[in-house]
Amino acid sequence: MTSSIEFMPEIRRRTLLAGVGGAALLAMTGGLARAQETVSGELVVLNWIGGSELEMMREIQKAFLVKYPNVTIREVAITGQGDMRGGIRTALMGGEVVDVLFNTWPAFRKELADAGMLRPIDDQWKSYGWDKVISPAWKELGSLGGAPYGLTYTFGDRSGIWYMKEHLAKAGIAAPPKTWDEFIASFDKLTKAGYTAPVAIPGKYWAHAEWFETLLLRTAGVETATKLATHEIPWTDPAVKTALSKYGQMLQAHCCGATNSMLANDWDGEADQIFQANAKNYLLIGMWMNNRAKNDYKLAEGKDYGFFQFPTLGMGHDDTSSIDAKELLVTANGPNPKAADAFLDFWTSAEAANILAKAGYASPSSNIDASLYGEAQKTATQAVASSKLQFVLGDLLPGDLVDEYRVQLQKFLQDPSDTNADTVLAAIEAKAKESY
Amino acid sequence: MAGTSVSHLREAAGVFHGSSPATAVKSRRRLRETPAALILIAPVIVLFAISVAYPLAETIRLSFWDIQGLRKPAYVGLGNYAKLFADPAFRNTLLTTLIFTIGTTVISVAIGWVLAMMCAFAPRQTLPFRVMIFAAFGISEAVSGYMWIGIYRADAGGLLNSLIQLLGFPGFAHAWLGDANTALWALIIAASWSGVGLPLMLIFAAIQAIPKSVLEAAYMDGARPVSTMRHIMMPLSMPGVRVAVFINLLGALRAFDIIYILTGGGPVRSTETVGYFMYRESMTQFKLGYGAAATVILLLAVLIISTPAILQRTAGAR
Repeated sequence: MTSSIEFMPEIRRRTLLAGVGGAALLAMTGGLARAQETVSGELVVLNWIGGSELEMMREIQKAFLVKYPNVTIREVAITGQGDMRGGIRTALMGGEVVDVLFNTWPAFRKELADAGMLRPIDDQWKSYGWDKVISPAWKELGSLGGAPYGLTYTFGDRSGIWYMKEHLAKAGIAAPPKTWDEFIASFDKLTKAGYTAPVAIPGKYWAHAEWFETLLLRTAGVETATKLATHEIPWTDPAVKTALSKYGQMLQAHCCGATNSMLANDWDGEADQIFQANAKNYLLIGMWMNNRAKNDYKLAEGKDYGFFQFPTLGMGHDDTSSIDAKELLVTANGPNPKAADAFLDFWTSAEAANILAKAGYASPSSNIDASLYGEAQKTATQAVASSKLQFVLGDLLPGDLVDEYRVQLQKFLQDPSDTNADTVLAAIEAKAKESY
Repeated sequence: MAGTSVSHLREAAGVFHGSSPATAVKSRRRLRETPAALILIAPVIVLFAISVAYPLAETIRLSFWDIQGLRKPAYVGLGNYAKLFADPAFRNTLLTTLIFTIGTTVISVAIGWVLAMMCAFAPRQTLPFRVMIFAAFGISEAVSGYMWIGIYRADAGGLLNSLIQLLGFPGFAHAWLGDANTALWALIIAASWSGVGLPLMLIFAAIQAIPKSVLEAAYMDGARPVSTMRHIMMPLSMPGVRVAVFINLLGALRAFDIIYILTGGGPVRSTETVGYFMYRESMTQFKLGYGAAATVILLLAVLIISTPAILQRTAGAR
């Protein structure tokens, strides 16, 4: 028998614990509700993203407003094509005062921070507990001098190739090519199946550089690419030429049709050639293609179209991938920092992460329900998780150098010979000497 | 003689000193009217100062500074100009601008001139035709740019390539905007298309101003339509042609929208004019000082072209 006296303290303890727990829960929910109430006013968001990606963003903003009913969002929209940094700079220098802005260029984040326009988010990182949901690698990616500035909300594999499943089936290719040799060999089969240009090269603006950038990683590794980005090695370095020669090998294997056609189209026009016109087969482009394929072409991920990781080259660097990321930045002069911080936090929530996943985007937040990822996104996420990563080279280069780099690669498309490779790299190097 | 000299001297003195009674009255009247005149033209002066003079002065000021991104600007004096003329990309844009400007002006004005003379033979019947052609002039260059993208598309969906294939010449189908040899001419044709309307209207108006008696006399003398066009309409429509050339030249020099939409200055910068270069440097790379220096060069080119034309047009005005 146990005496009631002996029980008493236990009962008291349980009652006390229950009482404290209940009170804590009440305090937490009440506190959270109060916190949500205290976040109010107008939140000004500077946005340059368009198309179906914008629809996804609006959906997240809508969900944010449901959670924070006292907040209103005003969007400062920057429209244009190509590099959008010019429009963003113009808006900010023209006097637009915003709380939050979307960014995808690490060099631009530094430019804004150096100009004193950004607010570091280390305090928010601690108070919102983002360390629990965002891995240190993403925190590092958004940091400058050790202080976090950008909260990465999505990332993309830039070393993956999109294709239509029926095209490969029609050419008698059972599975996507795994090695570089298999990839080159597939051109012949696809050409015989009636596709005159197996690889779509969007050479009008910037997307033709994607091939070079992944080839650089796969032939020379992350360290060399990093050194090139900071101009610690010259563009005339043999390692860079090896990558360009591999690009030349692909071009000389009749991968891509006439150069004039490559230079006439941007990535979206080339995507049309694969997913609408059924005229071309492979496209190396970022994960936004997933969203476009689903929403614009109304294709089923995994059924109609697929995605495979860049073929292996066997040069010791097949564990590397090029990635991009988009982040949220908060401004130093934004009138509503509370709402801005809450907005950032919301993008790490399960609700926002799942909206991203459903739209075909990856989220770095561990709150995501990974089962929502489709086949392509699963392949990409797995590849990013298991690779040595390097941010897109073009986004790391100084503005005038990146322009020259892309123009010179256009010249290489026109003449992929060994001699021209030297000329092209020498021209980029000459510009690089002025730019750093 | 002496009297005349004195009179001349008085007159001259009157002009400069206002001592002649008639001139003095005029001067007093002018002085009385001056405040009213100043008040009346003040809004225009204020508008001009805000919208033209200030931006112009600011552009010239910026051209002496090295401004890169959001970094702190540094004064470089004429450094941007020196760099500009040493920049092969800029030198290339000068040649491209010249070809584009002359090409679009010659094509637009020549077609507009021929059409105007043909329309002049049946003004009423050709009214809908003239309205339609002039409507193209009113279309935004961005819109017409997208229309021309549809025409020039490299694939089978492109109107021009489809037509070429339909006519049985599939070998002539081409990526018109992707080839550095054809892109500039494709651009010139697209820009000329929307540029024909204005010369047509200006030259047509000049032809309409030819006295009917002149045309009737030619008809009575048995002049054939071709002779009438060649010996009467062409020479007498020259004032309209001059204005059309002047306006088209200025428009072509400043062209941007259609280049931005159709080619983005490519391929390999083959369609990059000074206007587009200025945009690329100022807006894409945010080198505002460098872009401003290019703007000043473009402004000088516009002034060189427009000053003689303006002087000629205002020579008779008081």
